[in-house]
Amino acid sequence: MIGARQGTMTVLQRIVAAAMSRDIRGFVVPGADVARAAGLDLAGAGLHLSATPRHANVLIILAPLPAGLAQAASVAYGQMPRPRAILALGADDLAPLPDADAVGPLTQAGLVTAMADLRQVFAAGSFQTDIHDFDAPALQTRTEYTCPMHPEVVQDEAGNCPKCGMTLVPREAAVSPHAGHAMPEQEHKMPAETPVKTMATDHDHTKIEHSGHGGGHDHGHAKHAAAEAPTQYTCPMHPEVVSDEPGSCPKCGMFLVPVDAKDEHTGHGGGHGGGHDHGHTKHATTEAPTQYTCPMHPEVVSDEPGSCPKCGMFLVSVDAKDEHAGHGGGHDHGHTKHATAEAPTQYTCPMHPEVVSDEPGSCPKCGMFLVPVEAKDEHVGHDHGTHSQGHAEHTKSDHGGHGNGATIEGVEAHFMSMADLTRDMPASSDGLKMEWIDVPFGPFFPGLPGGLRLDLTLDGDAVATTSADGAVDKRELLHEGAIAADAFADHLAALSPLSPVAYRLLACLALEQAAGQSVATDVARSRVAAVERERLASHLGWLAGFGAQSGFVWLENRAAALQLKLRDATIPEIAALTSKITTFLARVQRTPLLNARLKGIGRLTGDDALPGPVARAAGIARDARSNDPIYAGLGFAVLTGTDGDALARLVQRCREISQSLDLISRAGAIAMPDPHGIGMASGTGEALVETPRGAARLSLTLHKGMVTAADIGTPTAAHVALIATVADGRELGDALTGIGSMDISPWEVTA
Amino acid sequence: MTVFVMLLSLALGGYLIAVLEGWAVHGRLQPARPAISALALLGRESLLARTPDRLFFEVGPMLLLVAGLLAVAVIPLAPGLIITDLATGALFLNGALAYVLVALIMAGWGPNGAYGMIGGWRFLGQFVAYAMLIVMPITAVAMRAESLSTVDIVTSQSALWNIAYQPLGFALFVTAAMGLCWLPPLDLPTASGDLAGGIEAEYTGVRLAVLRLARMVIILALAGAIVTFYLGGWLGPWLPEWAWSGVKILIVAGLMVSAGRLVPRVREARYLELSWKLGIPLALTNIFLVGVIALVVPI
Repeated sequence: MIGARQGTMTVLQRIVAAAMSRDIRGFVVPGADVARAAGLDLAGAGLHLSATPRHANVLIILAPLPAGLAQAASVAYGQMPRPRAILALGADDLAPLPDADAVGPLTQAGLVTAMADLRQVFAAGSFQTDIHDFDAPALQTRTEYTCPMHPEVVQDEAGNCPKCGMTLVPREAAVSPHAGHAMPEQEHKMPAETPVKTMATDHDHTKIEHSGHGGGHDHGHAKHAAAEAPTQYTCPMHPEVVSDEPGSCPKCGMFLVPVDAKDEHTGHGGGHGGGHDHGHTKHATTEAPTQYTCPMHPEVVSDEPGSCPKCGMFLVSVDAKDEHAGHGGGHDHGHTKHATAEAPTQYTCPMHPEVVSDEPGSCPKCGMFLVPVEAKDEHVGHDHGTHSQGHAEHTKSDHGGHGNGATIEGVEAHFMSMADLTRDMPASSDGLKMEWIDVPFGPFFPGLPGGLRLDLTLDGDAVATTSADGAVDKRELLHEGAIAADAFADHLAALSPLSPVAYRLLACLALEQAAGQSVATDVARSRVAAVERERLASHLGWLAGFGAQSGFVWLENRAAALQLKLRDATIPEIAALTSKITTFLARVQRTPLLNARLKGIGRLTGDDALPGPVARAAGIARDARSNDPIYAGLGFAVLTGTDGDALARLVQRCREISQSLDLISRAGAIAMPDPHGIGMASGTGEALVETPRGAARLSLTLHKGMVTAADIGTPTAAHVALIATVADGRELGDALTGIGSMDISPWEVTA
Repeated sequence: MTVFVMLLSLALGGYLIAVLEGWAVHGRLQPARPAISALALLGRESLLARTPDRLFFEVGPMLLLVAGLLAVAVIPLAPGLIITDLATGALFLNGALAYVLVALIMAGWGPNGAYGMIGGWRFLGQFVAYAMLIVMPITAVAMRAESLSTVDIVTSQSALWNIAYQPLGFALFVTAAMGLCWLPPLDLPTASGDLAGGIEAEYTGVRLAVLRLARMVIILALAGAIVTFYLGGWLGPWLPEWAWSGVKILIVAGLMVSAGRLVPRVREARYLELSWKLGIPLALTNIFLVGVIALVVPI
């Protein structure tokens, strides 16, 4: 056993190994949805699924994986505790993973046999004296150093922060040109499952354009500031102490630390592209006159040093602060020191910001002394011009520090206040300002379709921005050149593991048109019935996935069981199950708390490019079946909903399941689409099929029995384009529910 | 002796609940399953996260276990069968359970991973949502018993159990208890669909075993609290007193672990909203009603 744990098989170890052989916890790659669509009953084979590879002892690999997912699988394997094993179904080459401990074909029988083998492997070899290290390119990391306070400071060597003098802390980063993107502020290390960010070799998914929050971009930014601004020195405890030379603080004796003249662009991760021309440097410290105030009585302000008339404490110097925090990537703003130079001083209550007076005094509400503030200067509407991605959020957030009344003099001088630290960060939809962190979700995240990978920038637990670059692996339809017409349908079906029958029909229709063939109506009907059977199985699979995502175990188990029964059921079997399914669907829609969970989540309306059930749930009668004479003969009418939110999509799928049951019973027979007799025909053909996720179209050129050119469009691209709309600004759970409710197939095929 | 008996019944109760939970989730009743799973879990490597806050990482699960055991100390199974009958027992229970929050934040923060961290923060965000709904119904229970001693609270129910006397408080307390031991549908800190295990996501092997054991203890402690405060504790005919306590606690704990499988997880925002805007006013109403009844009707 390659993944054995170090140890010898004593009596105790034997008992533990026996227990392990009976407690198989699987982590499924690419995901449970793919397993269900392939007809595998994992629970029935005695497998318990884990949400994270850390809790699993078996990595279950289904079918050949695209290269990107194979890399990710090697990271997941690396995260599993020993003893660990690999079970591969229908997959032969697992590199960079080690050889599988148990293998089998991608069938339930294959799974059961492989599980029996696996149990023996665990019982016999869980503990070995010599164990193997696992290493893969994707696991390679290097160490870089960053400042805990200034995430934009990233360097390869240990040392002190050039801004605050704190000791830089090490963190891991991928050995990758994009290393800077890897982990933003601090060392928010990779969460257990999702390996995307450290995948060294997985650059094919256009990460170059990544609008990196934190890390990489701000890096360049920091250098920029440091290069142009003269170094000054300040006390870590007394920010009002500023000197041009190093030394110790006259107040507390601490060593002064170097700062660049304040440029408060620090890492709010808004994705400012690197090389913009920052117009504004160091307004505050060099241009403002020094004043003196009492640490306890901020209303006491004097132009000269001395002691406070109220409490006798020494007055401390303050620079008249200029709060140019967080502007966008430094377009020539040309704004220097407006506040102090131009605005009259006003006074406000620390507790009641709505109280503003032109004169000092006490608050009419609570009696506290009013404190001086600068008159606000709302920089909201700067022209952000051509910025992409991250900036949208930036504008929304009212420029972070501006205009939030956070400019109370003297109050923040002596402690590290959260408000201060986060002042320059944009506030998210819930109004809180927090550090932003980049968190990869997928490609094997339990709450998303297997294979889908997203990079969410989280602001607390709200999703600030979503990057769906490289969300799906694109596979080329004809990457090996021309394909024989007889093998073409199988080929396309294999590329679409979540709905192979619909794509098989798509290939058949296009081939037949190219070859000038036509099929009899009864054959066409029975093919349609096969597609409808797949649709209802697929929708049940989505229900099972929703159950898994929302912890609704009953739904997950029941829907998965029905999906497995129906995916290859015959007409009489389907007829026998119909009343059971109807009861089940009614029960699902009556579930307590279901409305509260889904209502208003992921709302998509309007005539955007919404595909399939997503469009129909929003009231748009978009369905490729509506123009199909075969469907018309079966009495098909498009079903639509109204609300366009996640609840409407659930209801829509439930109704479409019932509709498919009707269509199948009227069709009377089920036959798998199978192109035959194409022979050596030549021509061009085009077809459109409504897959369970939306319309897919295919056009191809047939030359002497070989498909030499093809163009294909799947609903996946439209779904992926909607991800940010559904997720941005939402609480994490709601964002994932919204994304899940679209039923995205990450198995995109391109021409 | 009492301590030994209590720990033994705790272990037994925990095991039975684990069997029940397995039944609820996997649909099969397998009496040996928890033992096998525990053995297998102990045999796996206990990985250290790569750049952990070592102190928080190690202390989180242990503190959770300690908090649970402290809470158990004031749950009476029968007259005299209680680890310590504090005069302030009900308050002590609340105090002990306050450490659940601390432990979960530590366990979430310690591994230095995003899923765990968010899980911990979610629980912190829920603090007022459940804490007020634990302590305010307890207030009403103590008002009727005119004592904070858990033994006195049980005996005060000899005429009428509190579930009938203050059903509103019962409903609120059970909901808050579910949130406090993060059971579905309120399993927001560990939600597998949102956070891939959340605070549990980075723990493996022995440390994970401690974390799960601790949670089981907390579930039993809260089931015990529900029985003590609302279901008349050991009171009941025919059976011996300890048996009544045991049966009631197992039923309550069993319902708590299996109810969540029938509904989807509650949204974080919705949970907070309901707890603050609806739960707290209802809890105040409950205190008021119990006060009026206690003054007017002598039961």
